[in-house]
Amino acid sequence: MEIYLPLLAQGLAIGLLTGILYVLVALGLTLIYGILHIVNFAHGEIYMLGAMAVFYFHVVGGLPLAPTLLAIVVLSLLFGLAIERGVFRSLRGQWLQLVVASVGISLVIQSVGWIVFGIQEKTVPTYVPGIVQLLGVRLPRERLLAAGVAVVLVAGLYVLVYRTKVGLAMRAIEEDEETARMLGVNANRVAALSVALGFVLAAVAGAFVAPIYSLNPGMGLEPILMSFLIIIVGGLGSITGTVLAGLLVGVLQSVGGVLFGAEAAYGLVFAVMIAVLVVRPAGLLGRA
Amino acid sequence: MSVKAAALAVLLVALVALPPLAEPYVLHVAIVVLINAVYAEALYVIMRMGYLSFGHAGYIALGAYTSALLATKLGVSPWLGILAGACVAAGFAWLLGLVTLKLRGIYFSLSVFAFAEVVNAVFRAVDAFGGPAGIANVPRPSIGGVQLNGHLGFYYVVLAAAVMSLLFLYRLAATRFGFTLLALRTHDTEALAESVGIASARHKTLAFVISCFFCGLMGAIHCHYLRFVSPFVFTFFFSTDLVIFNMVGGLGSFWGPLAGSVLLTALGEQLFAAGYYKSLVYALVLLVVILALPGGLIQLPRMREAWAARRLRLAKAPVTAVER
Repeated sequence: MEIYLPLLAQGLAIGLLTGILYVLVALGLTLIYGILHIVNFAHGEIYMLGAMAVFYFHVVGGLPLAPTLLAIVVLSLLFGLAIERGVFRSLRGQWLQLVVASVGISLVIQSVGWIVFGIQEKTVPTYVPGIVQLLGVRLPRERLLAAGVAVVLVAGLYVLVYRTKVGLAMRAIEEDEETARMLGVNANRVAALSVALGFVLAAVAGAFVAPIYSLNPGMGLEPILMSFLIIIVGGLGSITGTVLAGLLVGVLQSVGGVLFGAEAAYGLVFAVMIAVLVVRPAGLLGRA
Repeated sequence: MSVKAAALAVLLVALVALPPLAEPYVLHVAIVVLINAVYAEALYVIMRMGYLSFGHAGYIALGAYTSALLATKLGVSPWLGILAGACVAAGFAWLLGLVTLKLRGIYFSLSVFAFAEVVNAVFRAVDAFGGPAGIANVPRPSIGGVQLNGHLGFYYVVLAAAVMSLLFLYRLAATRFGFTLLALRTHDTEALAESVGIASARHKTLAFVISCFFCGLMGAIHCHYLRFVSPFVFTFFFSTDLVIFNMVGGLGSFWGPLAGSVLLTALGEQLFAAGYYKSLVYALVLLVVILALPGGLIQLPRMREAWAARRLRLAKAPVTAVER
């Protein structure tokens, strides 16, 4: 079997660009996991709402892109605060109830989405047309833009978590909530902020992939599945692990897709997850 | 207790005697209710030991596809196929359980979820398994040369399978094995159980295998009922329905998942034509129960005391799961 090398390079590049977007979605999950110790199943729906908001505000409503993005950030922030206050807060410490509640929220958003948005697939025209040729690899500007935004946000999150007082409070709660509370950390406020930031990351990711995929209310399932695989491989709660695993999964999926086809690549990613679970159950960089 | 037994006996007699008088639509609802009740109780086996699965539909799909493929490609009798489907589901559960049951909590839920997605992806990708279109013309089983094409005959097959499965799962909970599972519910109690010589890993694996065996069994029967299976039948949403049945009914006893599955399935069948409203109603009921009725519907009779206690601020969450 002969493999066309540039095709492989192309797959690698696209894999990295997709991977960084996965990282963006998965990081929101990681952030929420650090505080609530659950994964938020509604995350994919927030991503979907971000993409849908671009369609309705920008494409249908004619609002320019910048105010649209601002609106998405503000709305997802408020939504995150509301969900944390209304649902998550009273269930703190009960992981099973928390996870199932997040599934319930996901189902509500999705079924309302199908009812309100309809089953018609929606498309968003490209933000930046054209293709960049780099070392024989052809990269759509669109994906470069999305990846660029993702890199900036990931870097921003790093700074927030490791270089600010709020980040210190987040890490303190993750480490030992009771002690953190005793030392005066307002755990509820930090939890609200983490959930809201996680929602914003998901919504922004959705907004930037809107021109790349066609939109429907079920579009959140694929990235959320990938994010779950990523945070398992990377280690729950580990930001660096999430970044590494996200890029790894993106590349595996893309290069695997070039070599063996898309469905087999899916299986390949899963096989990697199983292998990681066998060798290091806590994930690549997770703590046991 | 004897009142309960008498009520159950009356219910059973009614379930056997009344159907010939029922309309096909009522029979259809009854069949779906019975199937879902077994799924919910099968899931309860592991939920009872503190494990949450968002991937049981994957094992249902394995059972369904095994039997459907055997019947349509090789002409194997559906009766054998149903048994084979249960065994295949149990086999995969054993393999995955070896790896994932070491993990507690959300890790387990996520890996089972991912596995179920991959199962459906494989069925979708491989043409020999029917591809995206699935497998049509799955035959109904036959008794004494008569194929059970009507609702009535098939109803009795489902009834027999469901009653036997539920009876087994009910008795299982009261065995030493069943109580041991209860002791594995949290990390701390598991350590305690191990300290008195209980092989927790073996217990957990066996519980998961039993749970998935019954899912595979009912999945195969389900498939022969629908005469069809595709990668879009037993999806993530099917798995979440089973979790919803458990949570809405309540995890405190065997009767919780049963109540949840029967009530919600009967309700869901009424909303079936309304498209996404069924999923919306399920999810809203789920959220209301989780937030306002933490013990599920079976705790309703005891809620008055609980609410009174809450008013007196004696305890913040007085309702805890108590086994029977």
